[in-house]
Amino acid sequence: MIRNRITDWALALVLPVLLLVAYDGWARTADDFFFPPLSEIGGTFADEWLFTRIPTDLLPSLVRMLAGFALAVLIGVALGTLLGFSRTLSTALDPVLQFLRALPPPALIPVSLLVFGAGDSAKVFLIALGAVWPVLLNTVDGVRGVDRTALDMARSYRVPAHARLTRLVLPAALPRIFAGARTALGIAIILMVVSELIGADNGVGYVVQLAQRGFDIPEMWAGTVLLGLLGFSANALFVAVERRVLHWHLAISGRATTGRASSAPRRRSRRTTPNPTEAAGARRP
Amino acid sequence: MLDVRDLTKTYDPAGTPAMADLTFTVGEREFVCIVGSSGCGKTTMLRCLSGLVAPTSGTVTLDGVPVDGPPKDMAFVFQDYSRSLLPWMTVAGNVGFPLPYKGLSKAQVAAATAEALAAVGLADRGDSYPWQLSGGMQQRVAIARALAYQPRILLMDEPFASVDAQTRADLEDLLLDIWRRYDITILFVTHDIDEAVYLAQRVLVLRRPAHVHEVVEIDLPAERDQLATKQLPRFGELRSHVLSSLRAPDPAVLPG
Repeated sequence: MIRNRITDWALALVLPVLLLVAYDGWARTADDFFFPPLSEIGGTFADEWLFTRIPTDLLPSLVRMLAGFALAVLIGVALGTLLGFSRTLSTALDPVLQFLRALPPPALIPVSLLVFGAGDSAKVFLIALGAVWPVLLNTVDGVRGVDRTALDMARSYRVPAHARLTRLVLPAALPRIFAGARTALGIAIILMVVSELIGADNGVGYVVQLAQRGFDIPEMWAGTVLLGLLGFSANALFVAVERRVLHWHLAISGRATTGRASSAPRRRSRRTTPNPTEAAGARRP
Repeated sequence: MLDVRDLTKTYDPAGTPAMADLTFTVGEREFVCIVGSSGCGKTTMLRCLSGLVAPTSGTVTLDGVPVDGPPKDMAFVFQDYSRSLLPWMTVAGNVGFPLPYKGLSKAQVAAATAEALAAVGLADRGDSYPWQLSGGMQQRVAIARALAYQPRILLMDEPFASVDAQTRADLEDLLLDIWRRYDITILFVTHDIDEAVYLAQRVLVLRRPAHVHEVVEIDLPAERDQLATKQLPRFGELRSHVLSSLRAPDPAVLPG
């Protein structure tokens, strides 16, 4: 088991290492101004990002992204739960929501700069607005797909409505909420960079753009690499949290990779994540 | 104790009702089985009895109190344990889930949970998750949840329909044992005639649209045994009687 994991890690590292070596070899011989060798990019990375720019640029970026992401999850889950429960409400709000969803968030930068000014709130607003949709739509599906028998059970045992919501509906919808939040996290990182390209005076996106304009190419690449690493780590962290919180779901749907749940035979193959459209359709009388 | 009178449920005003003038009573500490073929309106009946849906007309009273929502003295065991147990809670969590809302303290919940799990022979599985258990064990968890709720009447909807035959026999005997030890009334719905005759003191034959076609008194010895009881000539007679009652043409629904 452990040996398998080590070989897996090694296997996963082969391609990235090959790519880096190939790039470096090519960049050294090509001597292209726009594609400096790795040593140069790495040197700039160490100088700039370890750790002088962390408090001045990386931290502000992270704070804005996390605030926007948190806001998106909060609003998405709250509104999604409401819409999941009430067909009337979801029918009434549908056109407005579809319109807002169709707006490309970057197109709202001018508006948000006017309304919120050039500070952090404009950027947080933009990130939240772009990232809220996957959370919202997945929450609606998740809430609608909650098993009718489980709800009947809770009702027959006189579990009050608030407890049915927090201890049954939300946990049951959690796998879908997490799926939405994972997509939202990717969007949040993209919009974090985009929001820093206009009307910003710090942040990773700002630094990258400034470096490009000043033809400081290694600096531009260092910032770009940092953004890649940021997205990669954010996703890894998210998956780790998901694995802890949704261990039961992963065990049931057979996606558990390690011990714990797989110690006993799996009996409930029938219970996988309900197909949202199917579940929603089946519940119509 | 449970009094059902002229219960009718119509989903489509133009169509035939799912349940028509259903009338029966269940006495204190009685074990009553309801048999009916699939689609005869058993589910509708149970949802009305448990107060989950309101009937179109008629009344259900429990100890003289009209049922207009889930009563506090009633517990429901669903057929599909894999859907009625919550996979994100441990076995103990599932059993104790309804109890805080009954006003039990944390310590009382833990005590009631432990006692109920011991009663179904799962004292050491409280920390497992339901999906780590076999089907029969999962249904025992669902029964434990009902017991921990300390109901006076237990409603069971084909609870053993989705487990294998041997497990089913074990669960039947476990249920009889619980019924004798606890001060509890059981209303058990099944489509299995053997099971109904083996378990019950009285069998109600349900015909479509749900109404009581016949009441069969089960005059078998009170002590039941999977082998001995089922070999009694009387068991065979009762079994055939219930079967013919289920199948006999019903003059009320014949055309003309």
